[in-house]
Amino acid sequence: MAVKLYDKLKHSIRYRLLRTLPTCQQTVEKISQSMERPLTLRERINLKLHLWICAWCQWYMEHLHIIRETARAKANEPPDFVSGAGLSNEARERIRRRLTNQN
Amino acid sequence: MDQTHLELLQTSVYTKLLAQEVQNGMNASQGKSPEEAPDPGRWLDDHGDYLFKYAVFRLRDNTAAEDAVQETFLAALKAYQQFEGRGSERTWLVGILKHKIVDHFRRVVREAPLGEESDEGPEHREFFERPEPWQGHWNTNYAPNEWHATPAELIERNDFWKVFDDCLSPLPQRTASAFTLREVDGLKSEEICEILSIKVNNLWVMLHRARLHLRNCLELNWFRSEE
Repeated sequence: MAVKLYDKLKHSIRYRLLRTLPTCQQTVEKISQSMERPLTLRERINLKLHLWICAWCQWYMEHLHIIRETARAKANEPPDFVSGAGLSNEARERIRRRLTNQN
Repeated sequence: MDQTHLELLQTSVYTKLLAQEVQNGMNASQGKSPEEAPDPGRWLDDHGDYLFKYAVFRLRDNTAAEDAVQETFLAALKAYQQFEGRGSERTWLVGILKHKIVDHFRRVVREAPLGEESDEGPEHREFFERPEPWQGHWNTNYAPNEWHATPAELIERNDFWKVFDDCLSPLPQRTASAFTLREVDGLKSEEICEILSIKVNNLWVMLHRARLHLRNCLELNWFRSEE
């Protein structure tokens, strides 16, 4: 009985919050801005509450941080491990010619 | 030998070592001074591939990256006296290349001034199309899902970077550049705004749209197909 009541209460709080808080579309924009500037207190409270009830936006935020972390790690990769194709032979020779002319 | 003696001895050893190092440093810098001609051919062999990869990851354009590498070597030849053997040759060259890459971004945006709002990137409204009362919340077709990967794993996967690159390419040039300068090189907002001649509000919109687009694209083309 008590459990049932609790579930009902939780459900109605969640519903109310989703109806009154900024939407997911507005929230993802705030999530992006939170990586650029400190959010205001009101923005932070709304974001916290939204994330509390919305797994999708939670994942969204997590993914943005994974993308940032991965891209920055890639940027600082030690030279020996950098993957991908290097200069093409054609470009290398073109640059070599240009450099020798310069001398 | 008592403690004081030992310390004294150590100090004198250190002083000698230090003097030696200073001497070596001076020799090295003298060695690099104008009397010894720089060897751009060797630079090309030693650092060409690395510089190219560095540039192409940021510019996502082979020709532009080749140009940036060539300009870097040419500038390095001119500025050779300033190098003086401080730090590694590669770090020095990468420092020059960074400027060449930023120059490229500057040039590109000068040729294409920001006009329409759509120039900032796709809005992807469809991600949040839902019947009332849920309009504005995630449409289940586009809603994020859990990713099973860490940055450490992703960085090693060459095919991931291929997808990453493909996902950035449909974005407007300026938006993609803003994203790269911010998320790859971690530049400050003010620096990026100056390079791309935009206001900070434009930058936030661009970054938001780039992230919205890239996240979805990566999920569709990498994370879902990985499972």
